[in-house]
Amino acid sequence: MRDIAISIKNLDKYYGSFHALKNVNLEVPDKQTLVICGPSGSGKSTLIRCMNGLETYRSGSLEVLGLPVGDNTKTLDQVRKRVGMVFQSFNLFPHFTILENCVLPQIRAIGRDRAEATEEARDQLKKMQVDDHVEKYPDQLSGGQQQRVALARALSLKPEIMLFDEPTSALDPEMISEVLEVMQDLARADMTIVCVTHEMGFAKAVADRVILMAQGEIVEEGTPEQIFNTPQQQITKDFMAAVNG
Amino acid sequence: MTDAAFPPVVKTGLADWFRKHFFATWYDTIFSLIFAALIFWSLQAFIGWAVLDAIWRVENKDLCTRDAGACWAVIESRGRLILFGLYPYEEQWRSTLACLAIIVTIALSCLPRFWSIRRLPTLWIAGFGTFVLLMRGGLAGLEVVTSEQWGGLSLTIFIFSGVFVIGMPLAVVFALARRSSLPVIAKSFGLLIDIVRSLPLLTILFAAAVIVPLLVPEWLQGNKLMRVVVAFAVFFAAYQAEIIRAGLQSTSQGQEEAAVALGMPYWSLVVDILLPQAFRNTLPSTINQAVITFKETSIVTIIGFFEVMASGNAAIGTGEWGNQYIEVYVFLALIYFVFVFGLSRYGAWLENRMRLGHA
Repeated sequence: MRDIAISIKNLDKYYGSFHALKNVNLEVPDKQTLVICGPSGSGKSTLIRCMNGLETYRSGSLEVLGLPVGDNTKTLDQVRKRVGMVFQSFNLFPHFTILENCVLPQIRAIGRDRAEATEEARDQLKKMQVDDHVEKYPDQLSGGQQQRVALARALSLKPEIMLFDEPTSALDPEMISEVLEVMQDLARADMTIVCVTHEMGFAKAVADRVILMAQGEIVEEGTPEQIFNTPQQQITKDFMAAVNG
Repeated sequence: MTDAAFPPVVKTGLADWFRKHFFATWYDTIFSLIFAALIFWSLQAFIGWAVLDAIWRVENKDLCTRDAGACWAVIESRGRLILFGLYPYEEQWRSTLACLAIIVTIALSCLPRFWSIRRLPTLWIAGFGTFVLLMRGGLAGLEVVTSEQWGGLSLTIFIFSGVFVIGMPLAVVFALARRSSLPVIAKSFGLLIDIVRSLPLLTILFAAAVIVPLLVPEWLQGNKLMRVVVAFAVFFAAYQAEIIRAGLQSTSQGQEEAAVALGMPYWSLVVDILLPQAFRNTLPSTINQAVITFKETSIVTIIGFFEVMASGNAAIGTGEWGNQYIEVYVFLALIYFVFVFGLSRYGAWLENRMRLGHA
């Protein structure tokens, strides 16, 4: 039997009177890659942001690596140190160099000493093929390079789970593949991944499971083959037709 | 067709530069000539008054008449009063050294290499310690000079840097408290900031100097100068807090989320990520606030402190030099100019440095 990395039961979330997540139930097994897709406003970003406590929820339960994600800031801290996240807009720290962007979080979050953190950061930046730019500042890099730095920054903390919130949506088309490639490598290396994306090529290549959300609900769930080739719901068929042009 | 391949060669000689910038059209030419004449006329009038026809030495004081040029003899005679106020004549070397100590401290804390949680406070404690030790004396055989006798430029710089050094951390606390997620804290600091901003500085300083001693037990009062500096710092902090808050709000939400998602603790989020960006984003307003504060220090005259402006007024207050007020004010203006212009150039340098990416 597989271990469960993320377990969500009966999750409900409201923004004021707007019902953003409706009774969501979801399990992500260890070392698997889950792709969440769906039209905008369907709640997919809200759901992934609940997983590391960036968003709160009203009712239900959410456990990550066996730890409850809720009001307790202590456990939230533990979860965040073990779960990495990459954002649509990179969110690199503009006043630090590329290297410092990757070094400082290690020192502050998990108390590594600077020498060790620097070594780890250089290592990760090399894997992401941005080690030529360590002394530059984020605004001197292309979008694709910045996103790979953001990935290196998250991986420097040696997370057990990676969350990707539309990691390629802010990129120019020619840079999307360079980010997807490193994400695919990560998935093949057995990282547990949850990824919100419209990149169906990525889903086909590495996803173990795909879920489709609409209006705050999970409307369909299955293997990539099931979702792409034999969708059951009309809304899934419409969505696939739309993203495949 | 080779001509088309190269851009036309632009002549960049001095004559061309002048033609392009001042005489491009007939109305450019007219304005240029008028302003050139005005500048020339006022410069030669000023140089004639301030340098060529000026009387420099006290021996020649009798030559100072309305028709003569500037009578700088007043500065030779009264300069010490302007710079040191009522500080005892024999001890004024101490005031000079104290003033230098603070200026060196300010200059050093302008250098980014001193911007760390440990270095900056150490620097300022050493700077202020040296200043107070020299000014007040009472140790190492130095005669005691109470703060009521401090005056002139040393006092101005002391008040300014005291206000800045106490006010800036206060401003950070105010700004963070006003953004607190706890409504009681956010509301009460909001109210405090708005009340302080709604009161005239004069009222606040007057209350600190005169009313606080009536209400507060003696051991907590400190001396009058300390109370005034602290009250002034609170006033400064109320304004600066709003500048910092604007800076915090202009920092993107994503920065905070990234730091939180990486598991960085709250203090690190504030100290490493938010505040540096907030200060970067609001540097022009911060320098502006510093300039205003420097000039506003002259208001302490009202409660009996002889800072540089009041000392200048005292210098022309006697019948002997009563006619030389223009010279004294020009001298005072020069002192203010050196500090304020220095401050603005420093701001410009910092801004440029930050644009290049360094923090």
